[in-house]
Amino acid sequence: MLELARYEARRRLRGTVYLTVALTLLAGMYIATFPSLATDVDLDQFIDQMPEVFRELFNIATMNTIEGFLSAELYSIGWVLLLGLYVAYSAATLIASDIDRERMDILLSLPMSRARVLGEKFLALLVPIVVVNAVLPLVIYVGTIVIGYPIDPVNLAVVHLLAIPYLLACGGIGLVLSVVTSRSTIAQRGALVAIFGLFLFESLTVIADYEQLGAIAPMRYFDATAVLVDGSYDWAGGAILLGGTVLLVGASMLYFRRRDID
Amino acid sequence: MNEGMSVIDVTGLTKHYGEVRAVRGIDFTVEEGEVFGFLGPNGAGKTTTIRTMLGLLNPTAGRATVLGADSTDEPAMIEAKRSIGYLPANPAFDDGATGREILDLHGSIKGEQRREELLELFEPPLDREVRDYSSGNRQKLGVVQAFMHDPELVIMDEPTSGLDPLMQQRFNEFVRAEREQGVTVFFSSHVLSEVRRVCDRVAILRDGELVTTEAIESLLDRSGKFVRARIAGHVESDAFNGDTVHGFERTLIEDRAEELLAATDFESDADVVTEVRFTYTGDINDLVTDLASYSFVDLDVEEAPLEEVFMRFYGPGEPSERTARGQNGDAAPAGGDGNA
Repeated sequence: MLELARYEARRRLRGTVYLTVALTLLAGMYIATFPSLATDVDLDQFIDQMPEVFRELFNIATMNTIEGFLSAELYSIGWVLLLGLYVAYSAATLIASDIDRERMDILLSLPMSRARVLGEKFLALLVPIVVVNAVLPLVIYVGTIVIGYPIDPVNLAVVHLLAIPYLLACGGIGLVLSVVTSRSTIAQRGALVAIFGLFLFESLTVIADYEQLGAIAPMRYFDATAVLVDGSYDWAGGAILLGGTVLLVGASMLYFRRRDID
Repeated sequence: MNEGMSVIDVTGLTKHYGEVRAVRGIDFTVEEGEVFGFLGPNGAGKTTTIRTMLGLLNPTAGRATVLGADSTDEPAMIEAKRSIGYLPANPAFDDGATGREILDLHGSIKGEQRREELLELFEPPLDREVRDYSSGNRQKLGVVQAFMHDPELVIMDEPTSGLDPLMQQRFNEFVRAEREQGVTVFFSSHVLSEVRRVCDRVAILRDGELVTTEAIESLLDRSGKFVRARIAGHVESDAFNGDTVHGFERTLIEDRAEELLAATDFESDADVVTEVRFTYTGDINDLVTDLASYSFVDLDVEEAPLEEVFMRFYGPGEPSERTARGQNGDAAPAGGDGNA
């Protein structure tokens, strides 16, 4: 079992290293700028003058603490948006690009079900997701100690734990696109548009008082600001994201099982 | 697989893509231990048929079974695939993976009893990434993965297309040896000379329909030879005629005659060279007798291109296109097959 997952996982290692290094640099940059901002500027005054849409988009509560600052800057952009896009984009290539590049014929000549091919490929996405969310909390924790504004390590760990189901759900969205089209560029662009669109949509529904509509967006169930600033953990949200992932992967399997490879 | 059941059984197989009817009501069977050629020009529906047999496409109508498994029955097909090797028309692998990583993956899932033996025959550069492979090396890696788990049935789509002539020959010998071992081999080709070397029976597909299924000898008897000769001196336009000569063409070469004659060893005072071209379907000994009375500057006798065979025996599909393709050698035997 899991031979294909192991093979795919090994092939994701190099990309995972690049991704981890890039996010370490991004996190380091934010952390390094915080002390000067905290002493020189009252960022909350600046936030109060921002349009509501920005505060909602980036989940900004306060910028005068390291927790609020990282939530607004690093997590809402780096994790919710950029990593979400990365995972959805990667998932979108899983099936479509193998069909597009005619690799699927040989892959499906192996004695394994299509559902298993899809499942094991998706499973290998855990490599970048888990590695990034295991390494970055350490980097960030050490970084905040170095600048003298240490962050609560438990809250930090919980943010990264809850980021995993969020990113899996983004992967599930990409995966659905990957099985419904045979053109990898269409699946990839579709995934980027879907994640960015949902990100905007979720915030706009809050502002427009149609909050319940935003419930379809995975961003609704992952709130780094609440964890880091208020210490409130939304385990139910995490469970909803996992459930949504299972649904999306299951639907992809059903569709992929029946479709023509052409 | 049940005793007495055909290795491949295709019944009324039809596949439409929207309005396009790629394959229409095909029937054929392949028996155990046969080498079966699936012959037809490009675009005839060969690949569609093969991919439907393997369950990659769902048939619009009809059915296909391989090793007793219906192509649409996934659990049965998974079991059958343990004993099936498949080489697609353009075998493609993950660009960033090395040949070794790919064979390791395949070996871990379907077995690799014959891997080392095959790697001695076909030698893809295992430690290089596939992105750096030539099409020939990709084809070799494809052949190795198709046979490495010691399958009972191997299905190949245009298997020799990427291989150089030497490797093609090695491949043909390999397929013959596999048949001796009782492996059933099904492969498609658009080149008659390729299937004639190794096949027991052929099915001929044209425009999505099966034209005939027959033993290779009877097809070859009727396919004929393509003769192209440059003869010293003037040859009358009725010099070659009769029921066995088809598509006779004659060109008188006057301006370059001296030059052409000088390039040969024999003495001739002819002031003209006649080029004749025709397809000959009679006894080859009679052809040699007929030719014996001439002095040649050049002579080629080779297998008639598949397109011409089709046109002659199965009627023109779209006459102008087929003639043109036959003439410009699009479907002519690949180089190195000019057997007189």
